[in-house]
This record gives sequence, structure tokens and C-alpha cells, in this order.
Amino acid sequence: MLSTLQPPRSLTLLPFRRLHGSKTIASLASSSPTLDASSVSPPQSQILTTRRSLLSGETTASEIAKSYLSRIRLTEPQLKCFLHVSENVLKEAQEIDQRISRGEEVGPLAGVVIGVKDNICTEGMPSTAASRILEHYRPPFDATAVKKIKEMGGIVVGKTNMDEFGMGSTTEASAFQVTANPWDLTRVPGGSSGGTAAAVAAKQCMVSLGSDTGGSVRQPASFCGVVGLKPTYGRVSRFGLMAYASSLDVIGCFGSTVADAGMLLHAVSGYDRFDSTSSKQDVPDFESQFLSMDSFESKPLKGVRVGLIRETLEEGVDSGVRSATQEAASHLEALGCLVTEVSLPSFSLGLPAYYVIASSESSSNLSRYDGVRYGNQVMADELNKLYDCSRGQGFGGEVKMRILMGTYALSAGYYDAYYKRAQQVRTLIRKDFKAALDHNDILISPAAPSAAYKIGEKKDDPLAMYAGDIMTVNVNLAGLPAIVLPCGLVEGGPSGLPVGLQMIGAAFDEETLLKVGHIFEQTLNGSGFVPPTLPNVA
Amino acid sequence: MATTRALLAIRSASPPCIIRIKASTFSSSLSFQRHGAIARCFSSDTNPSVLQPPDVSRLAETARISVTPAEIEECGPKIRQVIDWFGQLQQVDVNSVEPAIRAEMEGGNLREDAPETFENRESIRASIPSFDEVYLKVPKVLNKE
Repeated sequence: MLSTLQPPRSLTLLPFRRLHGSKTIASLASSSPTLDASSVSPPQSQILTTRRSLLSGETTASEIAKSYLSRIRLTEPQLKCFLHVSENVLKEAQEIDQRISRGEEVGPLAGVVIGVKDNICTEGMPSTAASRILEHYRPPFDATAVKKIKEMGGIVVGKTNMDEFGMGSTTEASAFQVTANPWDLTRVPGGSSGGTAAAVAAKQCMVSLGSDTGGSVRQPASFCGVVGLKPTYGRVSRFGLMAYASSLDVIGCFGSTVADAGMLLHAVSGYDRFDSTSSKQDVPDFESQFLSMDSFESKPLKGVRVGLIRETLEEGVDSGVRSATQEAASHLEALGCLVTEVSLPSFSLGLPAYYVIASSESSSNLSRYDGVRYGNQVMADELNKLYDCSRGQGFGGEVKMRILMGTYALSAGYYDAYYKRAQQVRTLIRKDFKAALDHNDILISPAAPSAAYKIGEKKDDPLAMYAGDIMTVNVNLAGLPAIVLPCGLVEGGPSGLPVGLQMIGAAFDEETLLKVGHIFEQTLNGSGFVPPTLPNVA
Repeated sequence: MATTRALLAIRSASPPCIIRIKASTFSSSLSFQRHGAIARCFSSDTNPSVLQPPDVSRLAETARISVTPAEIEECGPKIRQVIDWFGQLQQVDVNSVEPAIRAEMEGGNLREDAPETFENRESIRASIPSFDEVYLKVPKVLNKE
């Protein structure tokens, strides 16, 4: 299988990036005779490029779709990002081309190739949440987020791999396949939206929709070197997202640039009467944040107050990650930001509180999978046995464990000790964030304590796995928006492993995150984070 | 993995750590790598004495999930380990702190209590494992609980 890969193109791209813990950008640049500084251009939005080239007639939606389908065919044997590839891609692309040729209007996402995490319902396409219990399930409806992207002309290219029901941080807990990290095929892509992030990193799709309950968009974004955007709780309708923990779940966006993630978010945001937790807050025009670099002033982020969360840089976080984060803070300062350290005293409580709440709520949410109305049924001679066996054989080990832990935490007499207490800790965490965001426009931290680790490394040690979520869970508990964007590389893999910077904003202030993130990304020296182990897109 | 086991072994010997106090109470003689916020998560003494430890087969019965003896043996210790770890929440001072059901408490999103017909009933029917005309078929309930 590896013989089908072309040799890595790393020599062309490597000098543009900084390897933290080893060489600096200056020494790498001087050691490469082929480096031409003027050829470095900031990453371009694929949504805008698609729109321009379709409307100008430079290319067609069918040509674009064909090239992505052939890239999927070429790279899937190594990566295994997709659980299902749509059979309607070319048909939908042709419809867009016909409308354009007739001079009809097409939506703002026309021709954009989009991956969708498999716990988000897509009508007529399998939606399994990577679980055997839903192995052949085809929903009778589209999730609201999917409906919106289709209305805007987006093409759902397929359903991406994930940890079963969102429970995991590596995508190893999928019932069907393990996705490989495009930066190093022996490493995990992160989770639970691992396939979703890897597909964007490997250019199998332009953007994708994932879900984030405790970091499931942000951590894989960091591991795969792409942008992951978690909106405020309530910003995007959860209708059609298979519920894991209802008070924490959100649908999030992946893209190879901040602009793409932001435009996708804009497309799927807004009040939905089918989701009672959906917010009626106005959705600002996120697109207006994405100015071209030529129009940046010399200190484009002058006066923006940034709080670096002290507790996220203590020992226990890899030194390469810490130095990449500190460099990112310096970069923000160079852009005009005022960067200070902030402390969130309740920070370390977030992880146990999160796991109590998530496992409790999931034990309730997953009780609907009973083998009666949908999904795989294991027939038995007695009703309770039918439930027991359908669920026992349909759920994987991690899911069963979390349901049992949640059942325990919610048992009569234990509710106060666990669930209620965790809810009270949530209040403390919210207060700390609010206090910090009263004095800062955004907070920053690493997205994860390390870069991607090896497949199998943490599989048997739940607490070691859970520890990796420490940077992300508090944000879900507080319901705040956050974005992760690649800020550097650390040692590991064929040519380094990406590391993401997390930026956290005040509730419903995705605008500031997108503005800061976009400017940070466009001024970061380099031509983007492209994994070198795969052939380039045609 | 070894680091985590070391953490857990050391945890039972370390003095109780009240999380609300900012400074870590770790001594520098502890040789494992994790310090700071991550270690504070895994460091405190728990006090689960008033609560019964999890009985995996009983929980599985309550959750209506069949578990094999091999599964009980494998995941029993892991579940107990995680529940013990949850125990550190007992030490947090939550006196007069309101529990937060979720982050954003925007209220009033109720719908009319009026039924609406769903158009794609055929697709719903197609997903039902055992269907007999109008009925979803299930086995009899033999044991009354």
C-alpha cells in the first residue's frame, strides 16, 4: 500500500516552518538552497477560491468533485477517514454546473466539498456514530446543519470516522476502523472527530462538520494541523446531532484556514425551532472579518487584550508544546496584542467534573438505543433480554464503560455526590472564565498537552487518555466559543508534528476569535501546514 | 501508562489536597513527570467511604446492557479507578454554589403542544428491525419487576 504513495514533498515545504525544540526558522532557511522567500504566500480560503473559479468559469463543480473523489480513492487505504462516501457527489456537482450555465444563482457554498462526522444525521446516507448498534441506520431526515449546507449548494462527500458516539480522544474507539494521522500514519489523528480532521488535512474534502463535547473538534485540529472551530453552546442547532452529553455537545467546523472554518460556521449558525437549546442571538456576518493581508495595518491587532492561561503551561505539558505556545504569544504581541498571564483557579477541577457530567448525561442519552425502533436488534425470547443483548453486542467497550459510570453517578443516593457536585463545579468554572474575559478579549492556551501520539499508546489506560482533554473540557463546561489553529511543529513523524494554539472567547463572540485567528494565520511565516507524507492534490 | 500507575500509587500516600487552595502541595521528591494542573487532577486523596464502590454487574442490569464475565473482569477495575478519581470533587467547597444545568440559561424556547405530521414516515418504517403493519414487534415481557 505504501508503494502507491509518491515520495514526500517535505523538502520544498520544510524550511518555511519552525520546529520547536530543534531548529529555528532562520537556520532552516539558510540550509535550503531552493528557498525563495517571495514564493511564500499565506494560506488561501478554499471556499472563496471555489466560488471565484466557478463563477469565472475557470473550472466546473464536476471537475472539482472528480479531483476530490480521486484523491479519496488514492489516500483512503492508508488513512481510513471515511465510513461512507456519497454516491451522489457527481450528480450534485453536475446540477450546480447546469444552474451556473443557465445563469441561475447558486448558493455561497456551491461546489464546496464537505465531510460530515458520522454522528450527524444525513438523510438516506448511513449515519452510524461509528457504532455497530447503528451499523446500517439511514436517518429519515437531515440534521439542520446539513440541511443548511445543502441549501447553500454544498456537496456532502461522505461521512467521516470518529470514536463511537463521540466517546474518545483518538478515533481508536470506532467500531469499524482506525483513522491514521496524515502527518504520521503510525499516530492517532485525535478524537473524537479524528476522521473529520484528517480528511481536511489530507485534502480529501475542503471543510468538514464535526462535534465537540469535551474537545472533539479542537484536539484533532491540533493533532492534524488544521483549523477547528467550536462555537458557543446554542449557536448551531443540535437537531440531528446524535446526543452524547446534551449540556455540552456542539457542532463545530474544520477548515484548512480560519476563513473557511468561519464561513462554514456562518452557514450553519442560527436559531432552530427544533432545538430548544438553540440561541436566538443574532448571527453576525463572520465573512467580513476575513480581510486580505494587504489591507492589514502594521499592528493590526493593536489593543487586543490576550490572557495566557497560566495553568496550561505548567510541567506536564510537553516542552515543545509550551514553547510553540509561547512563540504564538510573542507573535500576537508583535501584531499589537497586550498579552498577560491569567489564572483560572478552578482549572484542574474541569476534567473530573466534565467526565461526571458527560458520562451521566450519556448514560441517559444512549438509553434510546434499544434495538426496537432502529439499529441492530438481537432477537431474544424476552423483552429485557432483547434490550440487554442488542445493547451489549451493539456498544463498544468505551461506550459501555461510560454508560456504567454514568449509571453509577446518577444512582439514587449518589446524585448529590457526583452529578450535582459537578454542576456546582461548572458554576465555579464559568465564574472564573467570566472574570478572566472581563479583563481580556480572548484567552489562549495549547489545545492539548502533547502532539499526536502513537496508535495504541493510551488505549488501555482511561485516565491517561482523559488527561489529554485537560485543555479543552473547561470551555465546554462554560459553553464558550474557541478556535484552534496550527501555530508550529514539534519533533516527531517524518517531518514534524503540528501543534495547535487554542483561543477562547466570550460567549457569542466568535467574531473576535475569527478576526484574531485570521490575522494570526495570515501573518504566520509559512505557506500553510500540509502533511508531507501524501501525494499532492491534482 | 507507567507514569499514570505511578501517579495512582503515589496518590494514596500523598496528603489530602484541597483543590480550592491555589498552590500545589507536591513535594519535589516525587519522581513522576506530571506536575501542575494535570497532576492536581490525579493527586488528591478521595473520600468515597460513604458511597458503595461500583458493582459492575448490578450497574449493567440497571443500564440494560449485557456484560460477559470477561468484560466485568476487564473493565471493572477501570471503572472503579475512574469513579475513585471522581471522588476528588468531594473536597471542593461548593457551599452555596448554584448548580449550572448548562452554560447558557436562555429560557423560554418552548414549542406549541401540537402534533405535526412527519412527511417521511416510510423511511422511519424502513429502519424498524421487526415491523408488522402498524406494530413494532418485540418479545413478551415474561418477568414482572
